[in-house]
Amino acid sequence: MPTGTLIVEAVRQAGLDLNIPCGGQGRCGRCAVLVDNRQAVRSRSELRLSQEDRAAGYVLACQTVLEGDVTVTIPPQERIERRLVTDRIATKVTLPFVYDPKQHQPMQLMALTLDPPSMDDQTDDWSRLKRAMALQHGISELTIDLPTLRKLGTTLREANWMVTAVVELDTWDRPQGPPRLVDVVPGHATNHLWGAAVDVGTTTVSLYLVDLLSGEIAAQAAEYNAQIKRGEDVISRIIYASRNGNLQEMQALVVDTINQILERACGRAGIRPSEVYKMTVAGNSTMIHLLLGLPANSIRLEPFITTINQPPPVQAAELGIAIHPQAHVDCLPGVASYVGADIPAGILGSQMCESKTVALFLDIGTNGEMVLGDCDWLVSCACSAGPAFEGAGVRDGMRATVGAIEEVWINSQTYEPTYRVIPDPKLEAQGQPTPPRGICGSGLISLLAEMFITGVIDKAGNLNFDMGSPRIRRGEHGPEYVVAWGSETAHGRDIAITKVDIDNLIRAKAAIYAGFTVMARSVGTDLSTVERVLVGGSFGQYINVEKAIQIGLLPDLPWEKFHFLGNTALKGALLALLHREFRHHLTTIAQKMTYLELSADNSFYEAFTSALFLPHTDLAHFPSVAEVLAARRNNPISRSVQGGS
Amino acid sequence: MPGIEVPKEKWSGKVREVTLGATAAEGGTRARTVTVGGETTLPFLKFEGEIPHPPAIAIEVRDQPPSDWPALLLQAWDGATQDVAEWAKAAEAAGADLVALRFNASEQLSAPYARQVLRRVLSATGLPLVVFGPGQADWDNEVLVAVAEEGKGERLVLGVCEEKNYRTIVAAALAHGHLVDARAPMDVNLSKQLNILIHDMGLPVERIIMDPTTGALGYGIEYGYSVMERLRIAALQGDSMTQLPMLVTPGEEAWRTKEARAAEGVPAAWGDYVKRAINWEVLTASTLIHSGADIVVLRHPESLRRVRAMINALIG
Amino acid sequence: MALTGLQIYKLLPASSTNPEVKAHANCKECGYPTCLAFAMKLAAKQADLSLCPYVEEESKRQLEESAAPPIRLITVAGSAKKLEVGNELVLHRHEKTFYHPPGLFVRVKDTQPDAAQVAKAVADYTVDYVGMSLSLDGVAVEAAGGDFGATVAAVKAACPFPLILMATDPATAEAGLKAAQGTTPLLWAASAENWQAMAQLAAQYKVPLAVLGPNGDLNALADLAEQVKNAGVEDLVLDPGTRDHASSLAAFTQLRRLALRKNERKVGYPLIAFAGDDITLAAQHIAKYAGFIVLDQFDPAMAYPLIVLRANLFTDPQKPIQVLPGVYEINHPGPSDPLMITTNFSITYFSVANEVESSGLPGWLLVADAEGMSVLTAWAAGKFDAERIAKTVKSTGIEQKINHKRLIIPGHVAVLLGEIEEELPGWEINVGPREAVDLPNYLKTRWG
Repeated sequence: MPTGTLIVEAVRQAGLDLNIPCGGQGRCGRCAVLVDNRQAVRSRSELRLSQEDRAAGYVLACQTVLEGDVTVTIPPQERIERRLVTDRIATKVTLPFVYDPKQHQPMQLMALTLDPPSMDDQTDDWSRLKRAMALQHGISELTIDLPTLRKLGTTLREANWMVTAVVELDTWDRPQGPPRLVDVVPGHATNHLWGAAVDVGTTTVSLYLVDLLSGEIAAQAAEYNAQIKRGEDVISRIIYASRNGNLQEMQALVVDTINQILERACGRAGIRPSEVYKMTVAGNSTMIHLLLGLPANSIRLEPFITTINQPPPVQAAELGIAIHPQAHVDCLPGVASYVGADIPAGILGSQMCESKTVALFLDIGTNGEMVLGDCDWLVSCACSAGPAFEGAGVRDGMRATVGAIEEVWINSQTYEPTYRVIPDPKLEAQGQPTPPRGICGSGLISLLAEMFITGVIDKAGNLNFDMGSPRIRRGEHGPEYVVAWGSETAHGRDIAITKVDIDNLIRAKAAIYAGFTVMARSVGTDLSTVERVLVGGSFGQYINVEKAIQIGLLPDLPWEKFHFLGNTALKGALLALLHREFRHHLTTIAQKMTYLELSADNSFYEAFTSALFLPHTDLAHFPSVAEVLAARRNNPISRSVQGGS
Repeated sequence: MPGIEVPKEKWSGKVREVTLGATAAEGGTRARTVTVGGETTLPFLKFEGEIPHPPAIAIEVRDQPPSDWPALLLQAWDGATQDVAEWAKAAEAAGADLVALRFNASEQLSAPYARQVLRRVLSATGLPLVVFGPGQADWDNEVLVAVAEEGKGERLVLGVCEEKNYRTIVAAALAHGHLVDARAPMDVNLSKQLNILIHDMGLPVERIIMDPTTGALGYGIEYGYSVMERLRIAALQGDSMTQLPMLVTPGEEAWRTKEARAAEGVPAAWGDYVKRAINWEVLTASTLIHSGADIVVLRHPESLRRVRAMINALIG
Repeated sequence: MALTGLQIYKLLPASSTNPEVKAHANCKECGYPTCLAFAMKLAAKQADLSLCPYVEEESKRQLEESAAPPIRLITVAGSAKKLEVGNELVLHRHEKTFYHPPGLFVRVKDTQPDAAQVAKAVADYTVDYVGMSLSLDGVAVEAAGGDFGATVAAVKAACPFPLILMATDPATAEAGLKAAQGTTPLLWAASAENWQAMAQLAAQYKVPLAVLGPNGDLNALADLAEQVKNAGVEDLVLDPGTRDHASSLAAFTQLRRLALRKNERKVGYPLIAFAGDDITLAAQHIAKYAGFIVLDQFDPAMAYPLIVLRANLFTDPQKPIQVLPGVYEINHPGPSDPLMITTNFSITYFSVANEVESSGLPGWLLVADAEGMSVLTAWAAGKFDAERIAKTVKSTGIEQKINHKRLIIPGHVAVLLGEIEEELPGWEINVGPREAVDLPNYLKTRWG
């Protein structure tokens, strides 16, 4: 091979095939190959390679030219997959404390051995239990509810006076107790005490099933909120719920969703839902209102007032939630109509208010909520992004589960896409690829960014029909780009993104970008003061920062400033479930936070329209994207590849 | 006592100079060209910057006498509206800098018809032309593509070029050496976005005029006013995608209003119809010129005279 | 200089280092949920510092200093109408808003026999614009060798609006001031020649005084204003002496910038302009910074467009103008002509009304009270729902004016179709186009 030949070219001339999904621009990192002699090659870009990769001898075949004798090893495709997958920061719930259930947990299991009654000791069952409780556990006051009382006698006798009491020592609104007897179960069963932390999102509901004795998450589950069929955003749900009788239906729909994932998680852990004795719920104010069956209409109407921001604990039976009927469901405190409990929970989960440096917290969901501040001050705001980032409201969108396209690259010469699908473990074990069923949120972001960078769409999101690609066509729903032909998909239909989908995504990202820029401006600061960007939200952990910046969803800050926290609302609900101090702290955060009503702010609309562009009307705010665009315009490597093909 | 220093803004940006029309030497047939733009300060603030070219006035002419114009306006042209070539000549005689030829949305409007009308106007006047289609995207495309071909090399301004049809119009301008009138609906961001899209297609910025749209006096002029003022400030602050001269159509807006149309059946407080109607067009135009308009398209010869007088008074 | 919300927050109890003050952090006593929320309201000038009893003295001083208006508020008054000008905070209306519209005055001379009639005509002139009743603001009486005192008295009797007394001779001016007693006229003008006497008069009669500088010389004007102020007159109005388009624009722009950007107190006063009978010069002064504009003639055909221009430019850009809800007739509709409904946001109304009007098609336009929001915004906020639409139909008496029961709703609220049909039994609801520009075509092809 002559000196100066690109490795991709050399590989081709050697009769081998090397995939270059992005078209040889060094953008995707999928053409990484091993070279045995780094001195004999020269690389133009190593952007996509980690420190370890480089140390191990990886170079990008599309960015590297030969300058001497070298042996190139093409790694098996799976290895590249794995290398890329590890790029994602996985959610690992690490608790910010060493969990001590005796110290932290208001729910306790107490083994009791009662003296059986006799003619000499005719104490009633309840007093007998209380006496044992005082003697054996030092608890003198105890309350009980009627349903528990009804089964008390039978249980005590059937269990031969050996029982375990499930006791709730206190709740946030009764910090001094008195303790409440939630249940008595036969025998001394003190191995597990179950609780559940739930995040009721507008689009997705997620749950952790937690062993309150160890603090371990035993199982998790998530599902689309069944209310979605009654409206995709909170406003449509409120409008629907405010009509006659619909509130009950909405309440039932979300309870059904919770019960469904509860059952699924319990199934995985091999327990029954009725063994769960406590549930904490984070959610935006509308979701909490609808869950509690509270009218939500005033949330929508000026001056946007909730019925309650800090609801008291209610018993599961009153809501129809399938955990133990007398167990408390504790809905976490919110700040205002559009900043619900999920935000204090997220802040708690992120530990943002412990730090002296200014951080921006983003919960990217259907309702985009954000907080700016430090240990001294916190402001929050909310904006409606719509469900596109959760894969809903998009024709071929889906949740991030098996079969979802989660990342896409588009070849800048052929406009052919390459994609990665969340694999089905069974197929993966057999070495089979998983056929796609749809595109999830992170896939949509990546797809939008690729279409934009390669010029498949213009900066306003219009598909460019001059490209001559068969994938750009007029479909039933207007112009669209085909990501996967029917022959490749699980259902045999083409998977495509339509102009309408593109507009939805651009609107969603614009709402979020406008939200945090206006928030920063209205306190008189700007994004350059932000030291950390904490990204939460149920899909936050899967966002590729680079792509999210390219479409203008996230501000163009150095990548190391971004921290992906996963579902912080769920994590906050978990902390509140485990630790009474954290539960208390949530209330403090909620009270301290200053809520900005963006609808009262004219500049929001302004900021929104300027963000309705890729990446933004003001390209100067996105220098890294400007650089990529300039590189596309005059990329010598692209030209040489084009010339050779 | 220390003296007061005249407060001057140190603007870093400059509006681009755009030349309309081409003479024979430049590949066209115009008797002269008109250059607008080039400002380095807000309108007429000559104490701190350059105003190299006064705002230009275009007179709107139609291929057929329009059925929806009030009699006052048609009479002002003394029969010339019956023939587009005569009308263009009359506009030039009245002192217009530019002729804005606009096609009515009529049955006879077709590509060959548009070519023929354009030829007649080009030979009737030596002024540079702005050409507007009938105002419906698909039809505009058909008419303007024909006009662009027919007027090759004339540096016409093709309008209107909007987000929904910009590709076709820009391609025609690129192929035949014309300019475009980039119209966005009264929004700073939308204007800027359209300029970027057009520029991304390869049309040099010196061939784009932006048209931020406006409302008439009493009918939303304050929106147009502020949008233009903001665009111009952004331009002077160095935002390159707003550094384009601005064209607006106060004549069209003003003559749509009841104040300019109704001679009778209106409150006495509105005053004399003829004076009021012309004042309506004059104030709409003069206010927009104060907010940064570089080209105003007018309809009445008396408005032209008075707006010109104001411009002269301000340029000094 | 104005402080940002966060800068003000640093001066409020939540940021205090004094534990006693800090104890009141986020106490909510001011009526806002947190100190930061209060700080942001203060920054936006939507709340008053006195609401917080716990602010420390030094902070209070800093806050009050930053809140002082850079252009003094000046009030003039007639027997039944007053005018306030000044207190402006921005150079361009989009930065926030223009607060006090300039007063439009008509000049009469004391040699003019019909001065009182003109004054009465000015006082009687009102014109309706989008439901607002608008008028001129007063009369400027100029001493031109006639009986100034008598003319002022006659004008004052004929016109209860504020007056401007134009006399540079102190004795003449005093005659006018005497005649104007009981009102607060603006006295024009103190110049380099007469300022001591004029300042004394202004102080004695407690009236604001215009200071006239030599044509466009701002240094001389500023020095003169300072001398007059030092002589005890605080309520000043500046006249830079410019009378043509170009020099007025330069002088007025520079004075406004000096006051706002340089915080130059010597020129922190409203400005007066004389536009003669040139409507474009008067219009220029509405946009560019006059507090008083004096016209040489009263002509409704000139007054009406100027009053409308002033209403437009002095609309708060954050709060768009609304039109009055109700029935609007377009092109003389008959009972069988189409009925459309839209919201009362002015731009929404105007775009619908103008499209239909210029198409020549007759029609009835119902304007619902949607609190000044556009169709989509109002729908999202619940201000343009089936209930409000039905209420508008029922409460406006439109049913008596038409012989059909068909209503065209904006395409953007097509989802309301079913509900409106429920609310308005017997009506046929048609979904119209989304954009006003498509209405004429819709009416031509779909109505009939």
